[in-house]
Amino acid sequence: MKMSLISEQVSTSIDALTREFNIVTHNLANVSTVGYKRQCNAFSKSLGTQDPQSYSPGTIELNSTLDFSQGGVTQTGRPLDFALYGKGLFVIETPDGPLYTRNGTFLTNQNNQVVDSLGRIVAGQAGPITVPNNTDLSLLSVTGDGSISAGGAAIGKFRLVDFPDDQNKLVPAGDSCYWMPDVNIAPVPAEQVVVRQGYQEASNVKIVDELVDMILVSRLYEANMKSLSAERDASGSLMNVAMG
Amino acid sequence: MMKAFSTAATGMTGQQMLVDVIANNLANVNTTGFKRSQINFQDLLYVTLKEPGTEVASGINSPSGTEFGSGVYAASTVKVFTAGELENTGRPLDIAISGGGFIQVTTPSGDLRYTRDGSLQTNANGELVTTTGYAIEPAISIPTDAASVSIEKDGGVNVMDSSGTQSVVGTLQLARFPNASGLSSEGDNLLSETPASGTPTTGTAGENGFGTILAGFLEKSNVQMVTELVNLINAQRAYEINSRAIRAGDDMLRTASQIVR
Repeated sequence: MKMSLISEQVSTSIDALTREFNIVTHNLANVSTVGYKRQCNAFSKSLGTQDPQSYSPGTIELNSTLDFSQGGVTQTGRPLDFALYGKGLFVIETPDGPLYTRNGTFLTNQNNQVVDSLGRIVAGQAGPITVPNNTDLSLLSVTGDGSISAGGAAIGKFRLVDFPDDQNKLVPAGDSCYWMPDVNIAPVPAEQVVVRQGYQEASNVKIVDELVDMILVSRLYEANMKSLSAERDASGSLMNVAMG
Repeated sequence: MMKAFSTAATGMTGQQMLVDVIANNLANVNTTGFKRSQINFQDLLYVTLKEPGTEVASGINSPSGTEFGSGVYAASTVKVFTAGELENTGRPLDIAISGGGFIQVTTPSGDLRYTRDGSLQTNANGELVTTTGYAIEPAISIPTDAASVSIEKDGGVNVMDSSGTQSVVGTLQLARFPNASGLSSEGDNLLSETPASGTPTTGTAGENGFGTILAGFLEKSNVQMVTELVNLINAQRAYEINSRAIRAGDDMLRTASQIVR
């Protein structure tokens, strides 16, 4: 007997809903992560708009896109905390190539270079940014375009980049960073961005939205499961009739 | 489904660590020279099922990929070395450093430690020591016949004997680090050098970057009560919501298990 269309559809939906639930929990876990950009998954919401006539199992396109909308900006007063306002990313140098991040919680390393919280070099327009040895960090000032000066003397400028058309091709790499898998896409200097010193960009996860999504997903999951058991009961009765 | 459980659990663990850090900040709201800690969360690794740009049909590339994150972890805690308020105590041996320098301290085992706590005392031998009794480096002794002691902006320690003669008995040296946030906290208001902090440069107060010494003042903790309490509320709510996610996952699993009767 051919497995019914309903069972196939239901198991595809359940699979997609489970994945969406994973994404919601990941967003909620990162509600306090500086510079975090929420992952969106529109599967549950797309269910309502699907045309039932054209719906067929196996065609659920589950894409997790990153929502690069601005997160709230909170003041910390730390001279090496930077929030980006607008479209742009900091560049982190790693041995495996550049990573991009919105998390501007920086430190200096033992060589006085500006690094991220994992000790990786933050890219400047002309190589790493080095704070002169005899400068107190409180004397650092950073202008909106990312130019850094220490006690009035310019010491460098952050390299800020943007992917105007290809931002959704960035892949999260963990540690608040993204990487670009497509080698043909080169970043361009960011123009619509402002650097704020002494601030951090908070996570853009909105708790209420995620909770609503969580409820929606768990209810849809339940409904799918119900239809699966209804289907089983129905086919069971059919079998009973046929077999006497 | 199990992945969602562990993801939400990382969220709860992270928020718990945040509460630990806030509690320590709040406990030290009156600790002289204390610097508040700030926790840095970062997202954990992702499982990529499909990379963006994957060819889904000939000539058609998927505009975005499919990735699942694994939650959050605390990447580091950073000491925030902003200045604390200066409190006027009027005590001649209380010093506050206005700037980035640290007072150097020798422990009984002979190791160097660094502190911002300038409530100095004299011990039985007349040496300048910290509240814990550790000698400051370089050692400075106050003669027993000194009638009064004063510490200058540049760290010079002046004494005046009973006959009114003034003399300089030593100069406090300050140390500063390329990365003060990389210093390791030892308790007792002491910090120690690490590979991350870099090696200290020593010098006299008033020089570039060391800051000046203000006698008769103490630097209070830079913990802001209101900020910490707001962070505490946020942490508590975020913890609660992550636990809700676990409960929702549990409900979903129960629905699934009820299919088979």
